[in-house]
Parts: sequence; structure tokens; C-alpha cells
Amino acid sequence: MKTINGKTKDLRSLNGTLRETLNGHPVQVENVDHLHGLGAGLKHGQLSVKGGAGDYLGALNAGADISVEGDVGKYLADNMTGGTLVVNGNAGYGAAQYCYGGTVVIRGNAGDFTATMNKGATIVVCGDVGDEAGTYMLKGDLVILGNAGKNFANYLIRGSVFIGGECESQGHNTKPEPVSEEDIVRLHAVFEAHNISADPASLKKLVAASEKPFYH
Amino acid sequence: MAVIGAFCVSVNKEICVNARMSGKCATCAEVCPHGVYSLDPDSGHMEVVNYNACVGCRICAEFCPTNAIRINPAEPEYISRYPWTLAAVEEVHYKAQTGEYLLRGFGTHGQTPNFDMITVVPSQIASQAPRDKYREECDMEVVIGEDTCEKPMRLKVPFVWAAMSFGALSKEAKMALAIGAAMTGIATNTGEGGVLPEEIYLSRGYTDPEMTRKRFDPGGNLIIQWSTGRWGVSVDYVNSGDAVEVKIGQGAKPGMGGHLLGAKVTDDVALVRGIPKGSDALSPCRYYDVQDMGDMKNMVAFLRDVTNYQYPILFKLGPSRPYADVAACIEAGADAISIDGLVGGTGCSPDIVTQGVGIPTIACIPPAVQALKDYGVHHKVKLIALGGIRNGLDAFKAMAMGADAVGFGSAAEVAMGCRVCYACQKGNCPYGITSHKPELRARLDPVDAGQRLANFIHACAEEIKILTMLSGHSRTVDLSTEDLRAMDLNTAALTGLKLAGYERQLPMWEALQNGNK
Repeated sequence: MKTINGKTKDLRSLNGTLRETLNGHPVQVENVDHLHGLGAGLKHGQLSVKGGAGDYLGALNAGADISVEGDVGKYLADNMTGGTLVVNGNAGYGAAQYCYGGTVVIRGNAGDFTATMNKGATIVVCGDVGDEAGTYMLKGDLVILGNAGKNFANYLIRGSVFIGGECESQGHNTKPEPVSEEDIVRLHAVFEAHNISADPASLKKLVAASEKPFYH
Repeated sequence: MAVIGAFCVSVNKEICVNARMSGKCATCAEVCPHGVYSLDPDSGHMEVVNYNACVGCRICAEFCPTNAIRINPAEPEYISRYPWTLAAVEEVHYKAQTGEYLLRGFGTHGQTPNFDMITVVPSQIASQAPRDKYREECDMEVVIGEDTCEKPMRLKVPFVWAAMSFGALSKEAKMALAIGAAMTGIATNTGEGGVLPEEIYLSRGYTDPEMTRKRFDPGGNLIIQWSTGRWGVSVDYVNSGDAVEVKIGQGAKPGMGGHLLGAKVTDDVALVRGIPKGSDALSPCRYYDVQDMGDMKNMVAFLRDVTNYQYPILFKLGPSRPYADVAACIEAGADAISIDGLVGGTGCSPDIVTQGVGIPTIACIPPAVQALKDYGVHHKVKLIALGGIRNGLDAFKAMAMGADAVGFGSAAEVAMGCRVCYACQKGNCPYGITSHKPELRARLDPVDAGQRLANFIHACAEEIKILTMLSGHSRTVDLSTEDLRAMDLNTAALTGLKLAGYERQLPMWEALQNGNK
């Protein structure tokens, strides 16, 4: 696999190179912590990051499969619409916000405001998340295998939120529901695809208490 | 006590019970606390005996069983009943009944500082001679992003349509705006509701998605808005226009995000926005993915990156602290900055926010221009002024104050037929502009409305031409504050324009601008 050293590169040149080379074959990059917005708007291809990555990794990702060996900065996979983004380490503030589709897997922990306004993606955090995770979610699946902080799944509108551990406090408009057979099948497929050893049936599920919690 | 002659009391005798059957009803006489009405004990007739005593409380009208009474102010209620005008009273009643605050559409109503007390200075003998509007040319083209991107955006005349979302507006209204932009060479804006496929090709003048059949010359521009809700946003969305606008705020509800109530989130709207049908689309008030200036710069960088450095990046601001806000946008890398003043409208907002929050447009422009000048980028980073611009006269004044172009939002809706009922949020617009009901949408023909919009732009462009040329210029870029005078102290104080008669700026403005040199 071709490895590109990003040490002296700027965003424009490295992203430009990625768009050309990812057509043919998988690409690996290293020394890219200083770049913010790496791999933005890719539509296909396999990109792996050796070491860590900066902020906005895979922003507007529309179909590429991106994996990261280490930690990532803030705003991972911002407004992603397709593809996959797998982080072996931890993610910073605001991971997987505004996503419409695709799958985000964070094997470590994630910070505050994870998965804000999820509109259809599948987002899995194997570790813990901070406060305000899953705010104003409109569609999709959010799975936290560890613990969550305050105001978890605040103003959930639609979609399903699953948690393995405990949350410090539950957000507005949430209510518990039993995990369904469909959920188990669906989550099992995601866990298997990404080598996550967890049992969907053991998770606690939250759904929206009302579809119209703001104005009636 | 009661103001003499302040109200006209009329009773419709055709439906008044007492008029048809004397003695059968004396409700008005019984409830009126001031003796406006009187019941004759012998004949049983009820008469208005003392209209001078009427204080406009309208208790009689409320209690009248046949709704026969009409109370109209003989002089504005603002004078006779302020602060307890009917509007203030009804608002408290509404809250007492429902426990809710008022939500409504459109912009600020009532007098706020505006362009009317500014006058245009014509050229004469002591200055550069006027130009001849009928026989000479006037250059009013505006180019955005000339030095920063591959495809700068050109506006043939210095106007844009303000950002109005699909959801707030009907599909037909969005299509009309696109056609209007195509017919005049200006720009339309997706607003934050996602992009309609029709907008993409209509705004460029084509009638087919493949863009092979051009019908609307010369073709216009499409500005793609990137907002706090990210409705319908993807890499393709961002690349489907001629520019990307980062929305920070708007005039009608600065500090809050867009409001689209569930009733207007139909199947179509839900599809374009990517949200469940019938759910309230309440955009967040801020970017959850930007915490500081560094993040904002990185966001602009990846937006330029995913659009392959082709398009200009615009910023849209609501009216807050114009100098500092514009400075921040310049630092973030904007190619153009729109600033939307207090009076700017919306499809839905809490009434108190539309009425009470923000800075009047005339007071936003001078600090914004000062920031651009201080950074050395005035007229390079373009300034677009919005918020209650009604015609070419308002537009000229904004441009002479330093804006490069203006936006029409409310005026565009009125051009399409709107009569300003302030109820856009209900979705019952009888002109099909802000409604999604099929029977109402059927009343708005996009091509006809597009023509009306183009007509309006042509007329306003001619007005700009008249004013630019009579003040001695052949290019709108040469306009300056010297072409305007304030006609009262308030306006001179708010805008820093020279005061008519005094022929100088007010001293504190002179000191401020000298201090800046």
C-alpha cells in the first residue's frame, strides 16, 4: 500500500493527492495531525491513517472507508453522508455531528457533544462519551457501549439510542424502550462487521417520548 | 381620563338586536364603564349618547351577542392608549389563555430607524457634473471572489435574493426566485432548507436538469447556504451552486436558528431536509462544530477544499455587533459578507425576537464598512446589506453608505404577490408563497412570478442608475457617504452621515473617524 508522509504537506495538496490516488488503490497517510479537514468530501476509496489525525477528519465523507490507528481531534466525520470512519483511539469534542448516513466507529472514548443532530448514520462509541451526546437526534442509531455524561440524548426526536453503561442524566424527551428483535439483528451486523464484541440484547434503549416536544 | 373624541363608535343596526327589537338587548349599555351607550327606559331604544367618553377598551364589542359594534381609533392608539394599546392587551390575553408566547412570520412592524430620513445629494455646479441616465452608461456589476477562487460570482446588477428556505417558502416560490435571478443575472440563495433540484438548473436559466435548453437569459447564480441545521447538506449539495454562504445569523431572529414548524414539514420538505415528516425543524442557534476562530478558519478551509477552490465563500450575519462580527468574518476568510438588519423577515419566529432584537439596518452598515476599511478590504471583500430594503432608493442609500450590493427578501415576496399579513408560519398563504397546501400553491405560477421578480429588479436597477448618475457617478463602486445627507439628528447620530444644513458629521463621528486615521 502506498504511504504518503504528510509532514510538510498542506491540506490542499494532500487532499488533492488523495482524490487522485484513491481512485485506484488504498492509500495510507502518516504525520497528518497538523491537518484539519483531511479526506473531506471523498466519495470512494480506502484511506488509512497511521498515527493520529487532526480536526474535521473525513468531513462531508460521502462514501470512502477511512480508518485511523490513533486518536483524532475534534469534529470527526462532520456532516458525513456515507462511507465508514473507524477510529482505534479516542475522538475529541463534537465527533460525528450532523451525519446523514454511513457508519462511524470509535473504539476508544469520545468527548462532549458527540453525535449532535444525527440524521441517519450509525454511530458506535465502544468507550465512554462526555456530556450532551446525541442532542436533537432525528434518525439513525447511536450506540454507546460505555457510560455517558449529562443530558444524554437531549431532545431526541426519532431514531434509537443504545447505552451499555450508565448516563449521568437523561436528556429531555427521552423514554426507555425494550431492545427489539430488529435492533438486535441490525446492531449485531454492525458489531460483527467491525469486530466489536458486545451483545446488543444487553444494551438499554432510549427513544423519543414525543415527536413534537417543542411546539404542539 | 378619557381622551375626547379619540374613538369612533359604530353600531351596525342591521344586526343589532336592540335596533330590530327594542328593549330586547341592552348589553352594551350594561357593560360600558363610561356611559357611552344609554337605554331609553320608555322606548327601549339603545343609543350612543356619549361617544366622547369612549376609551377604546372594546368591552362592548366583546360582549355584543351579534358582533355589531365596531370601535375604530379616531387618532392613532399609540397616542391615546399607549402603552396599553389593543395589541398589548390582546397579547396578554393570549398568554393568559394559552401559556405560550406569540410566533409569527415576516419582519418587524412599527417605526424603527430607517432609510427615510436620509436624502440623496444631487450633483450641481460645485461638484462633478451629473451623468445622463438616458444617454450614458452606468456600471453596476458586482464581482465576488475575484482574487480568491477559480470562478468568481458576477452579479449583473447589485442585488441578490435573500436566503429563504424551501419549507418556509413553497416549491413554486423557490422556483420563481430562481427564474427571477436567471432573468436578471443576479443570485438566488437556497436558504437553509436544502436545495431543490429545480433551483439548480432554473437559476442558471435552463428548463432541464441536464442544462441543455436555456430559456431564461442571461442566467443567474445559485448561492448554497451552509447553516446551523445542515438540512440536506452533503458534499454534492455544497458543490451544486456558484458560491457557498456560511450562515451565522439573520435579521429576524438573531441569536436563534431557523424555525419551521411541523405543520409545514410536508413529505417534500422532509425529503429535501432529510428529517421526519411533521417534526419541527428548529435549527440550532450556533455551529456545534465550531468553538472558536481557529475552528471557523478550518471550516472555511475544508469548504474551499471540497468545492475544489472553485467558488467564493460568503458569510451571512445577523445584526449584533457589526464591527466585531464583520472583522471576525474577514479573518475567517470571507469573500463577501451579508449583514441582515433588524427589519429583516422570516417564515416563523417568536414575535418578541422579530420585534425586539437586533440593530436597524442603517446602523449596521457604517460599523461594518469601518471594519472593512480598517482591514484594507472595503470593496474587495464585498458587503451586502439586507433588512427592509424596499426599492432602488433604499438600495442606493445602503450602497452610498458603503455596501456593494443589497438583498431583497420581504420585497421579493411582495413582488410575488404577498400583502404582508404577518402569518407566514401558519402555512395558509393565499398567494401560495409560504404555503404547502396544493390548492394554494396552484395559485403561484413560477414563470409568471419569476417575471414579476425580474420586473421588480429591472425597475430597481433603473432607480439605482438614476440616482447614481444624478449624483455625478457612472459606476456604483464610486458612491460614497458624500452622496447622502441625514435629515434629522437621530439619523445623523446613528449613521455618521453629514447632517443637512450643518453640512458636517456630528462632532462625535468626526472625532471617531479622525481617531481611526
